[in-house]
Amino acid sequence: MKRNVAIISVGYNGRFVSKRPDVNIPELIQPAVTNALGKTRLKPEDIDAYVVGNMHTFEGVNQPHLWASEHFNGNMKPVMRIATGGTTGASVYQAAYYHVASGLYDVVMAIGWEKQDEGDSQVGLMGILLPEAFSLFHFGPDTSTDRGIAGLGGGGSTGGAAFQAMSYLAKANAGIEHIDRVAAMMRSNAAKNPYAHLQQPGCTEADIAKTPIISYPLRFGHTCPTSCGAIAMILVSEEKAKKFGLTDRIAWIKGLGSGTSDATTGNLIEGQITDPAEQQICKIVAKKVYSMAGIKDPKKDIQMAEVYSGFSHQDLMWPERLGLVEEGASPKMLDKGAFAIDGEIPINPSGGVTSTNAIGASAMVRVGEAALQVMGLAEGGHQVQRKIENVVAHGWGGLFQFVTVTVLGKTPVKS
Amino acid sequence: MEKVALVGYKQTKHTFESPVARERIIYELVKSLYKDMGITKDDIDTFILASNDFTDGRTISEVFTVPRIGAYMKDETKVEADGLNAALYAYMRILSGLYNTALVIGFSMSGSEFRVPLTQAYTMDPAYERPRALINYYSAAALQAGAYMKKYRFTEEDLAALTVKNLENANNNPYSARKEPDASVDKVLGSKLLYTPIRQAHVSAYADGACAVVLSSKKMARKFTDKPVWIDGVGHLMDTYYIGDRDLLKMDSLAGAAKKAYKMAGIKNPRKEIDLAELHTNFASEEPVFTEAMGLFKPGSAKDVVKNGESRIGGSIPVNPSGGPLGANPVNATGLIRLAEASAQLRKEAGKNQIKGAKTAVVHAQDGPGAQSNTVFVIRR
Amino acid sequence: MAGEIVKTSVPITFMYKNRVGRSLETYINGLKGKKIVGAKCPRCKKVYVPPRTVCGKCHKLLDNIIELDQQGVLKSFTVAYVNIINGEIKDTQEPYVIGLIKLKGASSLLSAVIKASSPGAVKTGMKVRAVWKDTTRGDYNDLAYFEPV
Repeated sequence: MKRNVAIISVGYNGRFVSKRPDVNIPELIQPAVTNALGKTRLKPEDIDAYVVGNMHTFEGVNQPHLWASEHFNGNMKPVMRIATGGTTGASVYQAAYYHVASGLYDVVMAIGWEKQDEGDSQVGLMGILLPEAFSLFHFGPDTSTDRGIAGLGGGGSTGGAAFQAMSYLAKANAGIEHIDRVAAMMRSNAAKNPYAHLQQPGCTEADIAKTPIISYPLRFGHTCPTSCGAIAMILVSEEKAKKFGLTDRIAWIKGLGSGTSDATTGNLIEGQITDPAEQQICKIVAKKVYSMAGIKDPKKDIQMAEVYSGFSHQDLMWPERLGLVEEGASPKMLDKGAFAIDGEIPINPSGGVTSTNAIGASAMVRVGEAALQVMGLAEGGHQVQRKIENVVAHGWGGLFQFVTVTVLGKTPVKS
Repeated sequence: MEKVALVGYKQTKHTFESPVARERIIYELVKSLYKDMGITKDDIDTFILASNDFTDGRTISEVFTVPRIGAYMKDETKVEADGLNAALYAYMRILSGLYNTALVIGFSMSGSEFRVPLTQAYTMDPAYERPRALINYYSAAALQAGAYMKKYRFTEEDLAALTVKNLENANNNPYSARKEPDASVDKVLGSKLLYTPIRQAHVSAYADGACAVVLSSKKMARKFTDKPVWIDGVGHLMDTYYIGDRDLLKMDSLAGAAKKAYKMAGIKNPRKEIDLAELHTNFASEEPVFTEAMGLFKPGSAKDVVKNGESRIGGSIPVNPSGGPLGANPVNATGLIRLAEASAQLRKEAGKNQIKGAKTAVVHAQDGPGAQSNTVFVIRR
Repeated sequence: MAGEIVKTSVPITFMYKNRVGRSLETYINGLKGKKIVGAKCPRCKKVYVPPRTVCGKCHKLLDNIIELDQQGVLKSFTVAYVNIINGEIKDTQEPYVIGLIKLKGASSLLSAVIKASSPGAVKTGMKVRAVWKDTTRGDYNDLAYFEPV
């Protein structure tokens, strides 16, 4: 009864950059849509429906898809808007999947974007915490659900991430040099991805170690840039894929899911501050998704991953939480080169989020890059050469609490 | 195709200033819905919220609301539009066969915590409309209403009578925020002019409130209720953003969405087959235009519809028997409330406003200036 | 439980610099020279004013910019007794008219302020023409209003 769905095309508006003063928001989106269509034989009228999303407080336009409708060919089409913080892009893509899987539509386009040069994203992120923090300071903890708010350290996203990084390093018996090392690997991977924002060919651990500490152990070189850019993907049903004659160079969606835990920088569960590096929700979702995808042992059955790491220590943490390596094994795997593009389990050949972060696009870029790797179409030298059967793409957001996981593969799951 | 049912619904008593905070409102609403249905959060497979970071006044606003609805360590997502679109997404998720049950919730504090016209102003583009400050949700509705009234000789008195019909229904609805026992045509005509022909009395009642529904697959529905309401047709379409490019009277996106929903539900003649309509109208003047675009009444017939009471309770197609958004319009929840109210009618739970023998209802939600985007459901008992 | 409702007032002030976009820049440059320009779709021949980047109907990029007649017909209007400023509805000093105008040669309607001897003198279907500011600066206000022909 379940309907198989495939990604048949991934388009970008161009290279992600920090400023696009030459275009407005709809004009930023439009080339990504044209690019995704251009890689297929489809015309705009062949698209049955659109799912779109970004983090609109960052640009100061409420529901900007209303304004942009012409630019993504949305006039007189079904359009749904999804937004879930850092996971927005993945949530948009998942909604596009359900548009097809439901049987209501056959060909659906998912679009995620951010144009961060028009607003101030750190101000946007502060907006998550401030109202709660103010009421906490003035009136004591919120008692509406017997849970308070704790661990509101630092400002924006970096303060909370530092707690997580410290905890991760202690658990994995690793040091700040491991974060420097993985950060350097991502920036040099990005140099092989023509669409990545911060491209630093041959970036070394020493280069990263020169950057100043923001909130120990996180340095400036461990954080993500604010990027402008858009991504569009086309999803189709199995029947349509056959009808279009598409069997090769498409990526089947084998499993997907999302999950949420509690807010705050340390998950506060039953009155106890749990470890922010625990990320139990990621394990729960991954387990569910692997079961849907028919994956018994992710360490063997999954050949590479695109993970969402706003901060470099997460490029070590997520492969463990996703079950791709043993808990605490990432630093050693990194040191022996296993995470490199030519390693045994490449992590973020694209350069990841620490190299490119257009927020509403980022979690979809993980899925898009995973799809391109499955299709064998990753450009500029970041295509993994080893045989790939399954790829996992991961998204992360909220206040350290939202997770999305997707498994894409070369062959569909038999239903 | 698999069928999906609404198996539970509940809304808050909407107010202009809630005595408790937003998180508490939705916590209590969802808790009591679960209690009414005799279920727990663990009976829900997927949770879909409808809210908006602008109306919530905070980025990633669901950060603090997901634990309140029982989504902790569960599958959750957020639609940034009216709650009926979240119900549409839940419907798709259940149709996919991956989930059996979904909780859908829409909410806002649009009565007391933010200025609705300001969040509306932020949907206007910053390049053209916002700096010019001529077209906003109010003036767009006024231009539409003016065009309709001029073309079809629908008078200010007719519009006032239609407004009173809705206010009377709202008076009998225990959940509405706006109660005007002395509502009259004269009082409406005496209310403050905003943008001709729109007066303050025509504007919906922006309120604090929330609405939640539980949807279920067919195989599970009877486990939850012996009165399932079936979602038999859906349609949603978006028109161009620019008011000057749209046919404000034909409303192509609404007409198209309704047509799709009717086709899916096997409805050939909506005027005969639909027993009631619950519409998301931000202004009373939208009712004639919407109902005609949806094929419920003949184009240009609003004068007669009002005169003959065809859209009243007891008429041929009662429109907003709940009072509609004129009684309560908590932004993000309003369209979902239409679904709950129409379901109450089909389940014979609508109290004083009950329509006898109602079996098929049409439900609507809108988004954007001048109802740019429209979503339509056909539901049956 | 105390009966008093306690609220914090948390203004979120953002400063945005939004790029108006290529098409509207053409329009604004036109206004500076007291011209009204539109964009013509190469496929359906619809003329959009102000110019858009894309034709929503045909999905074609619109780079054919044409100058339009400064006269047109008033298709619908509303008399504004209020302004919405910063989300608050405030009385205007004098009611004014907002109209939708079909310029000669245009396919879409242009919204603009209409000035007649009195708001009561404004009628749907009347012919109107553009009135410019004496000195134009390259912004939307250069096109001051429309008046009956």
